[in-house]
Parts: sequence; C-alpha cells; structure tokens
Amino acid sequence: MIAPKFMPVVFKQLWRHRVRSVLTLSGVAIAMFLFIAVQTLQEGVRRSTQAAAGDTTLVVYRENRFCPAASRLPQFYVDRIEKIPGVVSAVPVKIVVNNCRASLDVVTFRGVPRENLGGPNGWASKWQLISGSVAEWEKRSDSALVGETLAARRGFQVGQSFDASGITVTVAGIIRSPEAQDQNVAYVHLDFLQQAAGKGGGLGSVTQFTVRVDDPAKMEAVAEAIDAEFRAEADPTMTSPEKAFVAQAGADIVEIVKFTQWLGWGCLAAVLALVANAIVLSVQDRIKEHAVLQTLGFRSSLIARLIVSEGMLIGVLGGAIGTGIALSVVHFGNFSLSQEGLSIGVSASWSVLVWGLIISAGVGIVAGLVPAWRAGRREIASCFRAV
Amino acid sequence: MTTNHTNHRTNSSGPPLIQCRRLTKTYKKGDNTITPLQELDLDVPTGDFLALMGPSGSGKTTLLNLIAGIDRPSGGNLIIGGTDISTLSRSKLADWRSVNVGYVFQLYNLVPVLTAYENVELPLLLHSMSAKDRHEKVQTAMQLVGIADRHDHYPRQLSGGQEQRVAIARAIVTDPTIIVGDEPTGDLDQESAQAIMDLMVQLCEDLGKTLIIVTHDAKSAAYAKRTLHLEKGRLIEAAVLAARRAPLVPQEA
Ligand SMILES: Nc1ncnc2c1ncn2[C@@H]1O[C@H](COP(=O)(O)OP(=O)(O)O)[C@@H](O)[C@H]1O
Ligand SMILES: [Mg+2]
Repeated sequence: MIAPKFMPVVFKQLWRHRVRSVLTLSGVAIAMFLFIAVQTLQEGVRRSTQAAAGDTTLVVYRENRFCPAASRLPQFYVDRIEKIPGVVSAVPVKIVVNNCRASLDVVTFRGVPRENLGGPNGWASKWQLISGSVAEWEKRSDSALVGETLAARRGFQVGQSFDASGITVTVAGIIRSPEAQDQNVAYVHLDFLQQAAGKGGGLGSVTQFTVRVDDPAKMEAVAEAIDAEFRAEADPTMTSPEKAFVAQAGADIVEIVKFTQWLGWGCLAAVLALVANAIVLSVQDRIKEHAVLQTLGFRSSLIARLIVSEGMLIGVLGGAIGTGIALSVVHFGNFSLSQEGLSIGVSASWSVLVWGLIISAGVGIVAGLVPAWRAGRREIASCFRAV
Repeated sequence: MTTNHTNHRTNSSGPPLIQCRRLTKTYKKGDNTITPLQELDLDVPTGDFLALMGPSGSGKTTLLNLIAGIDRPSGGNLIIGGTDISTLSRSKLADWRSVNVGYVFQLYNLVPVLTAYENVELPLLLHSMSAKDRHEKVQTAMQLVGIADRHDHYPRQLSGGQEQRVAIARAIVTDPTIIVGDEPTGDLDQESAQAIMDLMVQLCEDLGKTLIIVTHDAKSAAYAKRTLHLEKGRLIEAAVLAARRAPLVPQEA
C-alpha cells in the first residue's frame, strides 16, 4: 500500500499519541479476542454437526429421547440391526454423563464391548495412542481409554484412577481421534459400565447403537430400515446420521453458538468504531501537517494511504494480540462444550489465526478510508489559514 | 505604463520564469465576493529575489500561494517555466510542486514527530533514489543552512532560528527552481532574522534560486533585489507610493 521508506513516518505518528494508540490497541485486542473465541466455537459446531460426504455412521437412539439417561434400548437389538442389508457393524454403546446439562467440563463414559473396541477392525484401530495401550485396556475391566482433550483438561495420566458420577476407573491409555466426539470421552467396558451405573438399566440395557454403513449413499435407507424393524416393539428407535444427531441432541448449544455469531459481528463493529475514532481524532490534530505534506508535493492519494496504513497497523497489531491470546486460551484450556454427552470441541486452528489477522487488518483499513479520503481532499491554502 | 514595465519585468533573454497575466482570485461569501487578487500582471525572471510588501489582507499570501501551486487562480493565467499550472490536475500539481517549489512558512511547520534530519528528508521520499543518495542530499542541505550538528534534534528542541534553518533545508533539498517564503522572519528576533535573510541572499546568489518572500519588515525587504507593494489585490507603482509618503504633495480629492 505504501513504500517501506514511508513506514517510519507512520510508526512515529502512532507513537506520538502513545496513550491513545495503546488504548485503541487494547480495545481492538479485546474485541478481536472475543471475535476469535466466537469463531472457534462456530468452527467446533461446524465440525461436529455438518455432514461430510464420506460419513457412514448412524446413531440408533430410543425414539423421542435425547438424553443418554433417558434413552434405554435392549442390547439384543444389535443382532437384528446387523442383519439389515447395508450394515457393516453395529456396536451397542452405553453412555453415562456426570452432568447432563450444557457445560464446559463434562466427563462422558462410553461403554463399548471389548471385542468392538480392540482387534484389527475395532474402533481403536482408527485412533492414535498418545500413551498407554489398548491391550492394557482389554486386560482390566475397570480401565478406560481417555480422549486427548478430556485427559488434558483433567490432567489425567496413564495408571491414574479417577471418579466421575460415582464410577471409578483407571486410565489405560490416552487416545487421539479424528472424530471430535472421541476426543472428549472415556471409553470403558460395556458390562462394567452397565453394572457401575446401577439405576441406568443394568446389564442388557444400552443407550444407543453406533452403526456403520457400507455406502454413504445408503445412510437414509438403512436408517429407515432400522426404525421399521423396531417400530412395533416396546422400545421403538430413532436412527439418524451421527452429525445430524449431534446437531439435534445438542440443539441448545448449537443454537447458542449460532447466536454468538452476532456477538462476533458486534466485536468487529466495535473494532471498526474504535479504530475509526482514533484515526478521525489524529487526522483532525494534523490538518495543518497534512497541508504541509501536500505543499511538499505529497499527493492526496499518498496522504490517504499513509492514514489508512495507520488504521491497518492498529488493526493488525491489536488483532495479533487478541487473536494470539484467544488461541492460546483455547489451545491450553482444552475446552469442550458438552450437552447430553455430546461434545463440541472448541479448537484453535491456523486458519482462524490467519483469518483473524486478515479481518483485523481489513477492518483497520476500512476504518481509515473515510478520514483518509477527506484529509487528502482538503484545500491546502485554507488549512494554513484556519488555525 | 513604462514605469510599470521597468518595475515588474526585468530585461533578460528568453521568457521570464514566472508570468502572471490578469491573475485573479475571488472568494464567494454569501452574496459578497472577496477579491484578494485582482487582474494582477507580474513577471519574475530566473534568479530574481523579490520582496512582497503591503498591508495586512492585501493579498500577499494569496499571490504567494498561487505561485507555489498550493492554491488555484479564479481567473487569468499563471505560467511558470512554460507550464500553465492553473490547468494541472490536483495530483499533477502536487508532482509539479515536489520538483519546482520550496515553501518556507512563518511558523516553520516542521513535522513535530520527525527529527530535523527526517524533516529535511521528507520531500526526497517522493523521488525515486537510493537511501544513500537521499542521505547525501540531506547532508548537503543541512550543511548549507548550518545545522549539520542538529540531525537528531526534534523541532521542539530547536530555537526558532534553527527551526527555520531546518525548514529552509527542507525547501531546498530537492533543488527546486523557486523558493517562496511567507514572512519567513516574522517570528524571529532581529539577529536570527538577519541570519535567515543572509541565507536567502546566499541561496539566490550562490545557487541561482528564484526567491519570492512576503515581509512586513523593511529591513528584511532590503535584502531583496526588488520590492513590490500590494494593496487591495493590486500592485502599487513605486511612484505612487513615493508620492504618498511625501508630506508636502497635497492629495487629490
Ligand atoms: N479562504 C478564504 N476565504 C475567504 N476569504 C479569504 C480566504 N483566503 C483569503 N481571504 C481573504 O483574502 C484577502 C487577502 O488575504 P491574504 O492574501 O492572506 O492577505 P495578506 O497575506 O496580504 O495579509 C483577505 O481579505 C482575506 O480575508
Ligand atoms: Mg499573509
């Protein structure tokens, strides 16, 4: 936008009003912190709820139930589900949550049969073991494989025991999974969880079935076939694609997070107003100085670009600070928004950082445009008369 | 008419550097029209040193600003170095200023956040040249005006006379043909004023610059090659002035 040789002039102008610049910068940083926080939430929701083309996972739940404590299905349904054409596998899952409400710190137990988790085609084969081992998990009935995010948040180590909802387990391994949901749960043995949960229905009762389909195109047809199979039973089912299920069961969170989009826009508007205010003030202070520059031969457009650069600089610096703080808070905080045992990861990504910088620079530029244009248009001679 | 010619035009080969023809500036204020400059004819040859005098509000600054290209005439022609600058676009006029004019203000008008060195360097940033060439030019200009030891001083750390020297260095650093000054000694003490005027004479005689300054002070005007008087937007003949000053000549009704 301007040649590097003009940069010292821009810097010195900002430095002249240090206090004002620092205050503006802080305001921009705070607003960008909020904006980025909102964006990471949005991204978490998108990743957890937006269907991808290759999705093949269905969730079978008790019809009209959305809380894991309320969804109870007989475990023996699994054999009938597996016979339905298009189904590759069906895994009975028991879910116990220490807090059924929307919260940032929820421990979710998922009870899964030993044979479905271990083995060459087991779920664990998709995971990366950060520490511990699946073999260790298989050996002990009260052991747990803990998602990376949950482990980091609670500070869990392999070999450590922990208690949640009155259920005590020992960490056998910490896993990293491409699935957002896995990152925030503790996988335990199904029969162990059925017994430990007590009032949750006991042995033979599960919360859901996780069904894998052989072809993404067949998702809908298979879901309909499953629900048809159990329509006449005492416990009818409701089957939906996993991400749609997350969107529905976590509807409260999703709604709130979607609403925060407005907060994000509000933050940007605040940045715009802050920077524009700072620029307008500093340009008003310098009417005569800009007339001097024009007298020296500076074109209106160059003066406008110098002013816009000041806005951009404030935007970029404030944006970098705010974005940096937001991303480190998100990164080191390992937050995960959970509702009904489903979690929405709040994750920091490079793209959010880059976007944060681009957007704050852009807002800084926009904020400078009008005062810059007007400063360049002034009649030089009259600027010297009006003092 | 003959006196007019000998007064305002100096015989030299080729056309004069600055030619004002019926140069007029008007302002509309409601129903009133103010005419700070009325059909003024003036030629200034290259290397001239011209002092403009006249009462406050007589149009001196207006004329200076028109010649410096920071204001536009309402009528007439203003040809400088063969270019009719009243026809130039805003940005072309800015480019023209950056090459042809150095402006020295009464109140120096240095950029307060920049050091003396950076102030002098400012106009050079508009020209494509290496940082080394810039440095040499700034160095030369600052030496010429005698403030080479004040590179890193900010304007507030300088005396008025020193600030004006920096301002003159800034005006000459691009090597323009014309240097204008609007009461350049108006805010200085006697001693500093004399030093600045000596410097102006030096710019004219040693560097061959064409100088036009506005001044209220006859002592400063005495440094110039010639002095012109403005009144109500018109040039006043020297003879008329002399007649007015002579107490024994009765005024005509
Ligand atoms: N922008 C303007 N609008 C209206 N009147 C102006 C403007 N600029 C100058 N004038 C008028 O033009 C006249 C000449 O002004 P100026 O050239 O500054 O006089 P001087 O420099 O000789 O004191 C004054 O009457 C002044 O009020
Ligand atoms: Mg004046």
